[in-house]
Order: sequence, then C-alpha cells, then structure tokens
Amino acid sequence: MEKFVRKLALTSAYAGGTVLVALVLMTCVSIVGRAFAFAGLGPVKGDFELLEAGIAFCIFAFLPICQLKAAHATVDVFTSPLPDGVNRVLIALWEIVYAAVMAFIAWRLYEGMFTKFQNGETTFLIQFPIWWAYAASLIPAAIAVAVAVWSAWDRCRAVATGRDTRPLGGEASH
Amino acid sequence: MSNVEIGLWSFPVLLGMIFLRAPIGLAMLICGLGGMWLVTGSPNMILSKLKYETYTTFSSYSLSIVPIFLLMGHFAGIGGMSRSLFKAAESWLGHHKGGTAMAAIGACAGFGAICGSSLATAATMGQVALPELRRAGYAGGLSTATLAAGGTLGILIPPSVVLVVYATLTEQNIAKLFLAAFVPGILAAIGYLIVIALYVRVYPESAGQQPRVPYGERMRALISVWPVLLIFTAVVGGIYWGIFTPTEGASVGALGTGLIAWASGGLSFAKFREALIATASGTAMIFFIVLGAAFFNSFLALTQAPQMISAFVVEQGYGPWTVLAVILIIYLILGCVMDSLSMILLTIPIFFPMMTSLDFGLSQEHMAIWFGILVLIAVEVGLITPPVGLNLFVINAMDRTTPIVKTYSAVMWFVASDIIRIVILAAFPAITLFLLT
Repeated sequence: MEKFVRKLALTSAYAGGTVLVALVLMTCVSIVGRAFAFAGLGPVKGDFELLEAGIAFCIFAFLPICQLKAAHATVDVFTSPLPDGVNRVLIALWEIVYAAVMAFIAWRLYEGMFTKFQNGETTFLIQFPIWWAYAASLIPAAIAVAVAVWSAWDRCRAVATGRDTRPLGGEASH
Repeated sequence: MSNVEIGLWSFPVLLGMIFLRAPIGLAMLICGLGGMWLVTGSPNMILSKLKYETYTTFSSYSLSIVPIFLLMGHFAGIGGMSRSLFKAAESWLGHHKGGTAMAAIGACAGFGAICGSSLATAATMGQVALPELRRAGYAGGLSTATLAAGGTLGILIPPSVVLVVYATLTEQNIAKLFLAAFVPGILAAIGYLIVIALYVRVYPESAGQQPRVPYGERMRALISVWPVLLIFTAVVGGIYWGIFTPTEGASVGALGTGLIAWASGGLSFAKFREALIATASGTAMIFFIVLGAAFFNSFLALTQAPQMISAFVVEQGYGPWTVLAVILIIYLILGCVMDSLSMILLTIPIFFPMMTSLDFGLSQEHMAIWFGILVLIAVEVGLITPPVGLNLFVINAMDRTTPIVKTYSAVMWFVASDIIRIVILAAFPAITLFLLT
C-alpha cells in the first residue's frame, strides 16, 4: 500500500512537472513567434489561457508529493520540546483535518466543474470550455485526497505503534 | 460578537493552531472558512466560494512565475554554475584575509541573480563552498554562518519569489520591484563582506588566506561565468524593458538554465527528475499557503477588521516612522519562528492598508515599492535568526562537525549588518527608489 501511494504521488508530480516544462517551452515558442511577427510568425494563440489552465493542473498535481514528504510549512519550535508521542498525536490530528479539507476542496471543485459545464463558459481567445480545465485539475485533486487519507492513516498508525514511517518534521522550502 | 470582534479573535486562534504545529496554509484556510461561516451565519458563502476559488488561485497568471522560478533555480543548482561562480570570486578575493568566505558571499550574490529562492541558494552554494572553506582552514562557525547569510541574497537579489507574492498581494508592478531590490541586494552583499573582514580581524585564527592569483587567470575565471550574466540580463532586463511579461521572462530563464545545465553535462535524466520533484514540493508548499491566505484574507475583509485596525492606528496619531519601526520589529520577531512567505501573506493585508494611510512624503507607488523592499529584508533576516532560521538548519545539516551554537554566535554578526541596512534603507528611501526615477 505504501509503495502504491508513493508511486501515485510521484507519478502525479512527474505529470505536473512535465506539464510545467511543456508550458515553459510553449511560452518560449510564443515569445520567438512574437519577435518574428514581421516574418509572418506569431505568438501561440491563447498562450495565456493555456498557461493558466496548465499551471492549475500542475499545482494540484504537486500537492500529493508535498503532503507525503511532510513538506508543508509548519512552526515546530513550540512543540519540539514536547515528547515524540505528543508530536505524533498533533501531526496525526492535523493530517486528518488536512485530508478532510482536501476532500472538501475536491468536492467543491467537482461542483464548480459541473456548473461551468452547464453554463458552457469558454475562454476568451481560443474558446475552449473552462470545464475542461476544471476536469483536468480534478484528477490530481482526487489523487491528493487519496494520498492525504493514506497519510493521515499512516500517522494514526504511528501514534498507535510509536514508530514513524516518515520523518516527523518536513523540509520546508522557499 | 460583532464582525470586527470575530476578525480580531481569529488572530489568536490562528496563531494557536500554527504554534500547535498545524501546517500554516491549513490553519489559515480553516480560520478563513470558519470565520466566513460565523460572519455570514450560513455555510452557503464558503460552499459557493470554494467552487471556483481554489482553481482561480492556482491558475493565477501572475503567480505562475513561482513554479517556473523554482524550476530555474533547481536547474541552476545542477548546472555547475555555482562552482564557476565560486572559483571566479575566489580568484579575485581569495588572497585577502577571510577571502574564501568573501568569495562564498560573492558567489551567493551571483547565484541569487539566477535563483529566486534563499534556501536553494544556501544549499547549492553550501555544497560547493563548505568543503573549500574547510580546506582553506576556516572555522566551522564562520563558514556555516557565511553561507546561511549568503543564501539570503537569493531572495534579496532579483529574481525573487517573495517579491512576486508581495507584488501580487499589493497589486504592484513586479518589474519595478525587481529593479528596486537591486541596489539593496548589492548593499547586502557589501555589508556581508565588511562583516567577514571585521570578523577575521577580531578572530584572526578563524580564517585562512589563499595565494594571489595572476590577473590572466582571474579574467578567465570571470569570463567563465558569462552564462549567469546572460540569463540575469535576459530575465530581469527583459521584464523591465517590457520585452516580455514576468512569467515569460521566467520561462526564458528556466529554458536557458536548463540548456546550460544540459550542455555542461550536469543535467542527467535522474537529475532532471530530481529537479522536477524538488520544484513540485516547493511549489505545492507555497501555493497551499497562498490558498489558505486567500480565504483568510477574504474573511478578514468581510469583517472589516483590517480597515478598523488601520483607522485605529491613524487615530492614535502615531507618527508614520513609529508605525514603520513597529512593523519591522514585528517581522524580526515573527521571523524567529515563521517562514518568510507565510509572514508576508499573513501580515501584508493588515500592514499595507496601514502604510498607505500614513504620509511618508512619497507617492503611493513609491511607498509600496520601498515598503516591499524593507519587508523583504526584514523577513529575510528571519531565515538566519536563531533559533529557527531555516538557512541555518540547511547549512548546519551539511557540516556535521560544527555545532549549531557556533553557527548561532557567528551569524549574529550578519544579523547585525542586516539590521543596520534596514535602518539605513528606511531612513533614506532614495537608495531604493533612485533607479526608478
């Protein structure tokens, strides 16, 4: 199970990373196209819209690995003097809340997609339906929920057994 | 309870959750959602807001620059540019007393010009410079403190992820903020060089000296860092001269650093995947805080607490400089326990309206830019203030032989230089703003 969850989170992060690299390349192509407008070339049509939809997908796809690596920013200076057992309980508690909130977010995202589907809203330039972008984001959002639920369960197990499968504190980055 | 009271009470609740180890983004999100429910008396608002708000926050064009800058920084880390920067700086500075440490600062400044993140700069330069410093006979505490402080140049010298977030929050022009950050960033590097020069005079045994390098070799070393200069000029110059948007500039930078890393042979497939994963978890961490802050701030706006607080401060008749001083001191204190981005997202919605209602003799735009740079420096000090300076931990983890207390005592010299610089920049806004006029 642990292996599967890890694989799921990694796959999701690679998918997001690939899209990010693709967006970078698209943006560069767009700049070149604009620079050579005199030669009949032009920017990628709707590049801003594609970038926005793509970045949203990336961020959702990046959430699972962040949760699995316990990389969300926390302040642990006040709790670190407490015994490990207390810290485990606190972490398990917040991970349960995180999983619940993530599920709530994914559910509302689904509702949002449904509304956008019904009202047929499209983007300004290339007119692709906005619900597509919501649908694309919904897949990694669902993965984020699954990983968060597993992670919370894993932390509860650590409370019971007193053994951690992952470090208590994560690496935060800026 | 009135709405304003709910708004004010949310702060102790939020801080309580954060101090009990809740992820900062999660704590803000819960307080924001819970607060909205309390204020409106029904869950309808949060239900309808959540339908679109998560997606819109994550798909923000102006914030899309953040993951791209992170990717660029990770590419730069594996492209061998850190080593050539350090070698170049060492060939020019190494023969001075404390010169290798000064070279590390110089290289950090150079690396900061292509990397928008402080931790990445500290970590990358640490790998290159720490072994060299040890070989040259530098005391452990001085070496680790130098690199931890040097790392902060990563966010001070543009491009800077923290400035991007500040610009988005306050609706300021990113290009102008980058330009304004340039001189303070250089001043920071100079300040650190002076600190090292003083430190090695007080503790002469803490540093070594390298043989003088002939000028021909120095020039060659300097020329070898051209890719860094090229990328910096293309990204920051291109954004400033309006050739492209900040996101486009970041894309050009990411592609450029990626190509250079690939050409230098450093970018293997495994390294590329590593860079993607590091970018992924860094990006997710930042955006989760941004999401939490978005909800917390719209809840605060609903309660009108920010306006009340700023009106209260103005009514009391405190002078603008007193208010500014108090704000900066709050950042220095918060910085001891909290990370820079969370601090900015949490406090700017309160402090910024306060600042705009005070008269500093500057135009609104200039005040916003100048204040942004001051805040940037103040939160960056938080990365190196004991006990919880993230840069200190990152560097100390690389050097097992140096106890953290040694790093703590040496880094206070750099913190002192930071504080002096904040006072100077606060007293003379022109230092920050003259490039803009």
